Amino acid sequence: MSETNNEPQTPCVIQTNDVSMVYRSGKIDVPAVRDVNLEIAKGDFVAIMGPSGCGKSTLLHLIGGLIQPTKGQIYIDGIDIATLSDSERTAVRRKKIGFVFQRFNLLPNISAWDNIELAKRIRGNGYLNSNGASQVINMLGLSDKIRFRPTELSGGEQQRVAIARAVINHPSIILADEPTGSLDSRNSRAVLRVLQELNDKLQQTIVMITHDSEAASMANRVIEMRDGQILEHAQHLSYEPEFEGLF
Amino acid sequence: MGSLITANIKSRPTRTVISIVAVGLGVTIMLVIGGITSGTLNDYLNRTMGMGADFIFQPTGASMLFAFSGANLPIAMAGKISEVPGVGMVTPVLAKFSASDFGLIFGIDLNSYDKFEGRLQIAQGRESLTGDEVIVDELYARAHGIKPGAQLTLLGHKFTVSGICRTGAMVRVFVPLKTLQQLNESPDKVTVIFIKAAPGVDKDKLFGSLKTAYDGWSIIRTDDPSFLLADTRLPGLREFRYTIILVSLLLSFMVILLAMYSTIFERTREIGILKSLGASRSFIITMILRESVMISCLGAIFGTGASEIIRKIIISAFPTLQVSMTVGDVVRGCLLGLLGGTLGALYPAYKAARMDPVKALSYE
Repeated sequence: MSETNNEPQTPCVIQTNDVSMVYRSGKIDVPAVRDVNLEIAKGDFVAIMGPSGCGKSTLLHLIGGLIQPTKGQIYIDGIDIATLSDSERTAVRRKKIGFVFQRFNLLPNISAWDNIELAKRIRGNGYLNSNGASQVINMLGLSDKIRFRPTELSGGEQQRVAIARAVINHPSIILADEPTGSLDSRNSRAVLRVLQELNDKLQQTIVMITHDSEAASMANRVIEMRDGQILEHAQHLSYEPEFEGLF
Repeated sequence: MGSLITANIKSRPTRTVISIVAVGLGVTIMLVIGGITSGTLNDYLNRTMGMGADFIFQPTGASMLFAFSGANLPIAMAGKISEVPGVGMVTPVLAKFSASDFGLIFGIDLNSYDKFEGRLQIAQGRESLTGDEVIVDELYARAHGIKPGAQLTLLGHKFTVSGICRTGAMVRVFVPLKTLQQLNESPDKVTVIFIKAAPGVDKDKLFGSLKTAYDGWSIIRTDDPSFLLADTRLPGLREFRYTIILVSLLLSFMVILLAMYSTIFERTREIGILKSLGASRSFIITMILRESVMISCLGAIFGTGASEIIRKIIISAFPTLQVSMTVGDVVRGCLLGLLGGTLGALYPAYKAARMDPVKALSYE
């Protein structure tokens, strides 16, 4: 994987230039993301909001290198991942990105400990009892739950395990796709507090998709999307999305 | 990765058990059928060498497995061979395969046969072989529950057991040469002539003399087992062995292919998760291959254990049948089971590694 010549001038950890993604459904082209330009600096906590089908998740997948854009550039720490091969994008994802999903996406047959350790093994960072892993586990309040399987944990606990798995390798970016979408309000608040703490204490860059305005208010920046495009960037913390009534 | 592999194996117990049994079955087929083949052959070779003959004389193209040879050798050849300088003694033998006993019957001339080292050593009864008399070895007698004086039907003919010889003779059943020639409708014909050099004669020189005198005939030295086992003289044996190996290999291959192929569809979401964590294609391929190797190893262990049990059952039920199972055979069997399992997992592993992570993550 090589650094491109068109490196971004700003110290952004994420930058997209005219990124578009078109899916083909039968003979019809369906644009999911259209000419998205986005800059996210290191340590930002960004919430992306918008109605279902507006392209939020596609944008997150593009930033995470899970899919390749139809056009445009996506810089992650200065590397244009849009030009990389699948294996090169996987390598960038492994080193620089941690994912948190709405449905936790923990492997059900292994313990919370093994789920977290797996991320380390994939990254090639050895085993879990090294490199300050216990600090992350303690911070997420998982010390007494670490030997349980995901099915033996509550939704909030599972999501905290998923967050631990995402941050265990100290990635530059955490991409969270509706991390509170499957949680009750108490657990949602707990998970959001964890994300905020990670952002505050570890200067972790977080990009979070959410439908929840309370969750979005935790972010220091909110981006609204509609029809595959970014409508506006809001800087205020008490953001009220204009599509609130849609849900 | 180890805990994930172990967990995956444990979480699908039915699939795991069926796969282990199937791989084990392949290993068992190879070990047991291969064991019977090589056991019977080795036993036969040992007994042939134990006959004490220096040379075996046959028509060209005849098989060392006398069951595959007919009665094509004029008995008069025995007299002519005995006149070759340096030849100590000869004995002609007519070999006939008995399908009912799945073994060879030797028609022998007891007088000349008993001059050889591998002569019949009578343990019970009389050393007599005339008319409708038959001598069987101890193992045959025990397996059939017969004693001297008992009646025995062989090749559709009734014989009387005159004696029981010690186990270790070339075959387990001996009848008079003339009687077998009549039953075979091949008077004056035999299958093979055993030759013993006279004491003090250089066997190499005698071999050369025999080769010169009987150019175009097959003369085999018995001091080198490789001569006895030359592939051209054992028709179809190599093909038979390859078929058994192929069937075993295919069994392991197909079962693991099917099991792992269906498993990766069940685990589509899991593969998507691994990809989202940054797992490379090689990581996913390795994970699936390691899982199949583990299943194949368990299958190989199961197959080895089952083979040993079956071997013991066969030996106890059919005492005349030899089942050879050396450490080398077991290692080869296990490696083939492992190879079949690993090859079977290659395509599912490749499919898993190439899955679209987004589609995999949204898989229900």
